[in-house]
Amino acid sequence: MKSSLVGQAVILAALALLPAAGEAVYFRDKISWRSAIAPSEMVTVDQAREWSENAIWVDARPDEEFASDHVPGAILLNEDHWNDLLPQFLAVWVPGKKTVVYCSSLSCNASREVARRLRKEAQLSDVFVLEGGWEAWLKKNR
Amino acid sequence: MNQTPNAERSTLNVELSAGATTSNAKHERLYILWRILDFVLAAVFLFAGLSKMFDLDALLADLTHLRFGDALVHFQQLSVASPVEFASGIDNFKLVPWPVSVALAFYLPWLEIFCALGLMFRLLYRGALTLLITLMVVFTLAITAAKVRGLDITCGCFGHASQHWSFPNHLATNLTILAALLALSFSYRAKKHL
Repeated sequence: MKSSLVGQAVILAALALLPAAGEAVYFRDKISWRSAIAPSEMVTVDQAREWSENAIWVDARPDEEFASDHVPGAILLNEDHWNDLLPQFLAVWVPGKKTVVYCSSLSCNASREVARRLRKEAQLSDVFVLEGGWEAWLKKNR
Repeated sequence: MNQTPNAERSTLNVELSAGATTSNAKHERLYILWRILDFVLAAVFLFAGLSKMFDLDALLADLTHLRFGDALVHFQQLSVASPVEFASGIDNFKLVPWPVSVALAFYLPWLEIFCALGLMFRLLYRGALTLLITLMVVFTLAITAAKVRGLDITCGCFGHASQHWSFPNHLATNLTILAALLALSFSYRAKKHL
């Protein structure tokens, strides 16, 4: 009885594997298995600085961290106050400019989420996530 | 007037048969109730699986506001959701490396759908129940661990529908589903022993 229970579970688990594998093949170009962010959507501090006036910096960290310090000229846009902050960002956004989103460090998710929402909800293109976030920017600018 | 032994036996038989009929009717009613619970849980897991695969936002908004005409239009325009979103949701828990999050993002929705079909059609039923109970225990432990570690997570358990759920909301939903699955599992075992 016990083995048949396990057997049933294994059959179901194996059945689910087949379409999942198919889906993985279908999406092979749309998702990276190495990093949460596709390499084409990442930008290093040096690359972003080269864009200089052609880039809008977006700070995705909480309000207090932004108030404490931020990249000069950066605009606050975090998920805590998304509905209030998005119109403020869109008011200064200029078509053709690149948007660079950053959060605290390499391990934070906020910049990834804000970048995703800017692409999806605000339909913006040229939105990049800063590799290493605020920590990386500080290192290069000390 | 005295009853003969045969007449007594006949009365007893009628009573026994009436008792059996009542008991059968009771069992039938119970069976129907358990089947309803099967379907409700199957619907929950079908929705959980499909909401991770398709962008159901517009469709759900229409159905919530009873705009069935618009819902039909949005149903025809249903677009496939990017697995990156669900993979990011799993990654937010900081429990597994990114490649595992990606693999789970492809695999978990299908597992939920197959288990839901198992519940619905009573195929591989005990296996489906066991897998779903295991999944719910793991999900509940994962969201609790995330809360304890102070992670601000978007679980994505039910796609965008659950995006802004609070921790108590998540926990209550998970525990309710888990309790219902355990009830189904115990009722199935009890029936086997009868």
